[in-house]
Amino acid sequence: MPTVKLFANLRKVAGTKEVSVTGASVGAVVSELVKQYPALVANLLEHSPDALSGNGQICPHVIITINGHPTDDVNAPVTESDVVSIFPPMAGG
Amino acid sequence: MNGWNGKILEIDLTKQTHKESPLDIEMAKQFIGGRGLGARLLWDLVGPDVDPLSPENVLIFTNGPLTATGYQTSNRFSVTTKSPLTGTVLDANSGGYWGMQFKKTGYDVLIVRGKAEKPVWIEIKNSEVTFHDASELWGMRVFALTEKLGQNNNKRNVLCIGPAGENLSRIAAIMNDRERAAARGGPGAVMGSKNLKAIVVEGSTRPEIMDKERYKFLMYETKKLLAASPLTSQALPEFGTVVLMNIMNNIGALATRNHQQTQFEGAEAISGEELTEKYLVKNQSCWACPIGCTRISKTEKVEGEGPEFESTWAFGAQCGIDDLPAIIEVNALCNDLGLDTISAGSTIACAMELSEKGYLDSDLRFGRADQLAPTVEAMAYRRDIGTELADGSLRLATKYGHPELSMTAKGMEMPAYDPRGLQGQGLLYATSNRGGCHMRGNMIGLEVLGLPKLIDRFQVQGKSAFVILNQNSNAAIDSLVICKFTNMGVADEYFARVLGAVTGIPYATGELIKVGERVWNLERLYNNREGFTSKNDSLPPRLLTEAPTDGPSKGWVSQLEPMLKEYYRTRGWDENGVPTPKKLAELGLENLL
Repeated sequence: MPTVKLFANLRKVAGTKEVSVTGASVGAVVSELVKQYPALVANLLEHSPDALSGNGQICPHVIITINGHPTDDVNAPVTESDVVSIFPPMAGG
Repeated sequence: MNGWNGKILEIDLTKQTHKESPLDIEMAKQFIGGRGLGARLLWDLVGPDVDPLSPENVLIFTNGPLTATGYQTSNRFSVTTKSPLTGTVLDANSGGYWGMQFKKTGYDVLIVRGKAEKPVWIEIKNSEVTFHDASELWGMRVFALTEKLGQNNNKRNVLCIGPAGENLSRIAAIMNDRERAAARGGPGAVMGSKNLKAIVVEGSTRPEIMDKERYKFLMYETKKLLAASPLTSQALPEFGTVVLMNIMNNIGALATRNHQQTQFEGAEAISGEELTEKYLVKNQSCWACPIGCTRISKTEKVEGEGPEFESTWAFGAQCGIDDLPAIIEVNALCNDLGLDTISAGSTIACAMELSEKGYLDSDLRFGRADQLAPTVEAMAYRRDIGTELADGSLRLATKYGHPELSMTAKGMEMPAYDPRGLQGQGLLYATSNRGGCHMRGNMIGLEVLGLPKLIDRFQVQGKSAFVILNQNSNAAIDSLVICKFTNMGVADEYFARVLGAVTGIPYATGELIKVGERVWNLERLYNNREGFTSKNDSLPPRLLTEAPTDGPSKGWVSQLEPMLKEYYRTRGWDENGVPTPKKLAELGLENLL
């Protein structure tokens, strides 16, 4: 199963830094993640927990990387050995 | 006059005299204030024959038409001079309270010339200017001096230098309100060269606002916009800027051990998450700021502001150090001594690499947290190894025969973002008018954070247009002068509306960004006049030839050359990077040549 790493306040909300979830795409991984950790819905999804299977979307400015490569494509493929990192909106410099 | 006070205060330290002169309103319309107005005045006052540390150099302190109006983040000021670090035009700006209080003295600009025979400090109470003997204050550190001179956030504000500025360290900062810094490029050394220890301001003038009803409404809207943005209402207040540590490491763009690697195994230990969990006391705001990104952190030894992301990186990943308490403490030490944390940390990292490779006879080594504070102390007082480190990494590395190990652009130490993993950021560093800097524009928003929309960080073609837009926008915001973080929730054009309401001068759509472009081109002209050419639009060879061997940026080097050609063309400059007569005429700068 792909590994999901959480950062910043997502850790506090989920109560964990890292979790393994099923899913073959970014959207599927995020859907599975919020099923396991419903408290993350408000942080990650614009609409309902299963929104990614319909016309929903991940919240603007949530940052997702696959093995360190940023993506904004919910259909981006994810393999069993991939690490998906999820960051809340962030800024700075 | 609305917004602007309409007055310049000129102080001659050699003669210990001062005089008032009117602000040229046409110049103010063209350059607004802050960085833009400072650059325009510097063009007239300091030519290529002037040594940055000579009495002929000037310090130009500027605020802007929005300053002290109460508009969100209207607390900042800018200081412009010729940089003793880079030899380029320099402006550094800072938040806190001093800028607001300076505006309330009734002046838009303070020009300091000459050199006092003995150390002095200046007190400005509205239009009353007093020169004080600073002989007994010379040598004092920033925190104690700030308290001694009566810092009182809303009434009386202290700007000063520490020992680093007195000892003419070319990476010395000007400090204000205790722990805020106009840090980059060595303005503290210019102040030290003038025997000027401090400037204390007290004022009671509030700027006039042309259309008060519209202004109030725009402030209300701005408040709503900042509250609605997850960046300004959550991300910055909750974790501060250092929250970027983990993501920059995650994508393989966190410069590590003097840019020898692009990922740091100790990043988590120095992250925003770690700082918040173990060391955060509270967050804090500058005057009129609803965001509150400043961290107040505490260890067993210190409690104070910071550290910001760049400071944490400079003494952390760049030096191979994962000891967060040591980083918090050396950050506080830099503030107390008046040193730029980015340049100080990166210069120590350069010395560590020189030493490990046998080019420099010292015991400095990557990972040695215990060496940070003693080395910074030595730099500020020019003692032992610090004597050579006090002038930045390029002079150090050049002296020991390896300038290529200085991680600088135009002689200024670059921040955390490694250009091999961020092509646009590399172009931005190389073309920055004050040297390697992330505050002249920042491509991290587009290339990593998806602000406003994610673009391919490795893409080369077409990148220059994004970089230019970013640079122009930042120059405009620096000329207002407000905090760039407001721009995370409020669009550039919105600021134009606020500017119009305050000054009564309509700034049409695009005109504010045009001001930014004008400022950028003027700074470029200044640097060209100083002898800088396209050859100076460069990056360290390591970033152009040594690809990371692992991590998400594996195999990539900066593709600077093709981006640079495109950049010059898109800027409307010739192939040598010189603004064309047509471009200068378009920007109203044709009369400068």
